[in-house]
Amino acid sequence: MSLFTCPFCGSRNLEEFSFHKTLPNVAGGAFEEIYLRRDAPSHSDEHWQHRYGCRAWLRVQRNPSSGEVFAVELLTGTKP
Amino acid sequence: MQTPRPRYSAAALLRARFSRHFWKPLWNPAKPQDHYDVVIVGAGGHGLSTAYHLARDHGIKRIAIVEKNILGYGNVARNTTIVRSNYLLPENHYFYEDSLRRYEGLSRELNYNVMYSPRGVVDLANSDDEMVALARRGNAMRLAGIDAQLLDRPGLVRFAPELNPYLPRRYPIMGGLVQRRAGTVRHDAVAWGYARAAAALGVDIIERCEVLGLTTQAGVASGVETSLGHIRADRIVFAVAGHTGAIGTMLGIPLPVETHLLQAMVSEPIKPLVGSVLIYMYGHAEVYITQSDRGGLVMGGALDGMPSYTREPAWHRLEEIVQSAVALLPQIAGVKILRHWAGTNDQTMDGSPLIDRLKYDNVFLNGGWCYGGFKAIPASGAACATLVATGTAPDLIRNFRLSRFASGHMIDEKGAGPYPVRQ
Ligand SMILES: Cc1cc2nc3c(=O)[nH]c(=O)nc-3n(C[C@H](O)[C@H](O)[C@H](O)COP(=O)(O)OP(=O)(O)OC[C@H]3O[C@@H](n4cnc5c(N)ncnc54)[C@H](O)[C@@H]3O)c2cc1C
Ligand SMILES: [Zn+2]
Repeated sequence: MSLFTCPFCGSRNLEEFSFHKTLPNVAGGAFEEIYLRRDAPSHSDEHWQHRYGCRAWLRVQRNPSSGEVFAVELLTGTKP
Repeated sequence: MQTPRPRYSAAALLRARFSRHFWKPLWNPAKPQDHYDVVIVGAGGHGLSTAYHLARDHGIKRIAIVEKNILGYGNVARNTTIVRSNYLLPENHYFYEDSLRRYEGLSRELNYNVMYSPRGVVDLANSDDEMVALARRGNAMRLAGIDAQLLDRPGLVRFAPELNPYLPRRYPIMGGLVQRRAGTVRHDAVAWGYARAAAALGVDIIERCEVLGLTTQAGVASGVETSLGHIRADRIVFAVAGHTGAIGTMLGIPLPVETHLLQAMVSEPIKPLVGSVLIYMYGHAEVYITQSDRGGLVMGGALDGMPSYTREPAWHRLEEIVQSAVALLPQIAGVKILRHWAGTNDQTMDGSPLIDRLKYDNVFLNGGWCYGGFKAIPASGAACATLVATGTAPDLIRNFRLSRFASGHMIDEKGAGPYPVRQ
């Protein structure tokens, strides 16, 4: 897995992107949001930034056991 | 049942010279029994040390360790073998000091040479401000009775002659904080030594047996579902390190954990050059270097940077770590890298461990070891065994409970906030 497809910039080298955190996907309030994670080996829902590119905040869904990228889309709604 | 094993000594070695029957396997592979007092999941350092202490200190008879792979093939085999207790926060430094003291006597205790080498670990500073921070950390350690010494540039030259702190660098080296009793311990020997000692106390070591689920009865756990069938257990301990997140998913409870890769690399063997452990953190990057007894330079740095269970190290991180190593020691620029590898780490929200009950009253977690759990193995096993055997956590690990995030008692050594990738 060495390429990500930014919705604005197209296919770019992974090193241009920086991972920020996983999305909690846990019901609850601020505590769950900040501190708890569902850390499944088959699916990971993440905040990234195209830091050395257009600097857009992205939501990336991946399989952390194979490296496969399911989706890269613009982050909307939640704050990073 | 385990066959008796010979005690190792100089005289025994001499006897072995004349006997073809002296050397025995360190442990005999066991088949799962139907029922155990305690089942420990994961035959890494923490699982093995917990089993050993449960059997030795608490006299628990029927203990099994179940390991999905082979013993000692996880992070205990992948780490860079550094042991130290140079932490700022009291929640950390008393615990890691207890562990370092146990490491000092471990070869004798286990009757197995773990090759503890107190070669000294030095953290280097890039600025006067960092010298102040290191002085603060050193003072905190000394107040806790832990050895620490602040070195200026001439002191550094005496301590590590291979290092030239006067060389102009983008991130200059102003001095460092050294802990002389810190150093390295042979990682495989720790796994094998604990396995041998645990097996001698009657612990069943069951390899190639993956835990797939937990069974419950009347609100408590009653056993584990494994690839070799169901095993009943009165108490269950998860010591799965990099798979802690997966266990959370298995039990259906969210945990304060993300799973990240850490890689390390080793160079071709060269003549003795690096006599201690050098740690150089600057700007956004970092590198640490030791030299193995075989002569290879063992190096590591920051996490690879994204959640992963793959154990495939990223090439760009390798490049960055090697560049940092050359910035630190320009004389190694021509040395070739032989291998690099990675392990999965259970990175917590504050970078500190989790030893606590997990979801059920008779299920325990010994995890959250992040990238630094090798040094913790002796202390964690002893303390976790006390928790499992008596139901009460000893003072040393009371701060490592899961509820600390809700109660605001994070142990954030780095001050990085709830971002596991930055811890
Ligand atoms: C590259 C690297 C360098 C490091 N350097 C250092 C260092 O210098 N100093 C230091 O103190 N720490 C270091 N660490 C961290 C240290 O290695 C770990 O924190 C520590 O080894 C983790 O504990 P363990 O030994 O019990 O883990 P492991 O050896 O990983 O044991 C966990 C075991 O659980 C098994 N398991 C998982 N799931 C299941 C299941 N469902 N059923 C059955 N078995 C299961 C795994 O197969 C594994 O064998 C480093 C780590 C890495 C990756
Ligand atoms: Zn972009």
